Amino acid sequence: MNQTPDELARKIRDARARQAKDNPPPKATESSASDNASAGEAMRAATDLVAALIVGGFLGYWIDQWLGTKPWAMIILFFLGFAAGFLNIYRAQMGQTYKIGFKETKPETPEDATTPEDPAGKKTPANPAGKKEE
Amino acid sequence: MSTNPLAQFVIKPIVSLEIGGIDVSFTQSALFMLVGVVVTTLLMTLSMRSKSVVPNRWQNVSEMFYEFVAGMVHENLGKESRKYFPFVFSVFMIVLMGNLLGMFPYSFTYTSHIIVTGALALAVFFLATLVGIVRHGLHFFSLFVPKGLPILLLPLIVVIEVISYLSRPISLSVRLFANMVAGHTMLKVFAGFSVTLAATAFAALGAVPMLINVALIGLELMIAFIQAYVFAILTCIYLKDAIELH
Repeated sequence: MNQTPDELARKIRDARARQAKDNPPPKATESSASDNASAGEAMRAATDLVAALIVGGFLGYWIDQWLGTKPWAMIILFFLGFAAGFLNIYRAQMGQTYKIGFKETKPETPEDATTPEDPAGKKTPANPAGKKEE
Repeated sequence: MSTNPLAQFVIKPIVSLEIGGIDVSFTQSALFMLVGVVVTTLLMTLSMRSKSVVPNRWQNVSEMFYEFVAGMVHENLGKESRKYFPFVFSVFMIVLMGNLLGMFPYSFTYTSHIIVTGALALAVFFLATLVGIVRHGLHFFSLFVPKGLPILLLPLIVVIEVISYLSRPISLSVRLFANMVAGHTMLKVFAGFSVTLAATAFAALGAVPMLINVALIGLELMIAFIQAYVFAILTCIYLKDAIELH
């Protein structure tokens, strides 16, 4: 068999392309790892919500005891705790990972240029951050 | 043995002690904490004694732990990571040891007590807060004021942010404690099914919950690692928040 190097190179390239198409690289380990990660994430979301509720309720109770405003502080802070719980979950899901305040996306999306870049600018930083964290 | 699935969490003193009216007995919980510390120390020192370039199995294990935590700390804290590595590593190992030692029959899972996980989480919380205050002074409290916040919303949002911040140690400790309690209770409940079934006419069926238990133990081992990992990574994230002050 006489083949020029070019021919051989082309054959190898074709074979590689075929192989890549027929047997895509195994992703089993990766997906099971991300399954574990998402299980952990789900667990985190649940405790985050409840923890903020507990803190809100307790703070309200304590303020009521202190100022003698019997039910009001507890009612208000309970609902604020609920809001804080959802804030926790929202941040964890958006890849902002428990940042207080919304300053994380600042470097990627400058204040003035938000409108055109907003969707792209918000999505790209959110994902790597979320991945990294798991 | 008791069939109550929660009986396994009862703290029993091994050496009863009382100092000034305070019960400071050496309990089985304390014993296993001690075992955890001793096992970690022995693992990390003995295995590294040879310091060979081509590691043997034990050296491999400790290098794996080291690299795992070092990588995690470095990813989050960047060039500052050296300073905080010992703390994060200790936290990771003590949680991991608690979870893993609890997987041995007749042992005790000290991470299944909220007083233990709560103390760990509070240590993390106070360290992160102190680091933030020491590094940034009063500016640290700007953490609670999101950028570009309308002045009208300020009181509302700041309260929500403070609650969110204070909820960190609670969610950190409750997560670990709840996972451990739930897992070990589940194991005990299924084991109880086996015993109950074995006493009936369908004794052979008693093998079914046992098989489920085998799978559950696998799951529990996974959770033991995941929870230690989550605890350590959140420690890193909280420290990062305090250091970088976004």
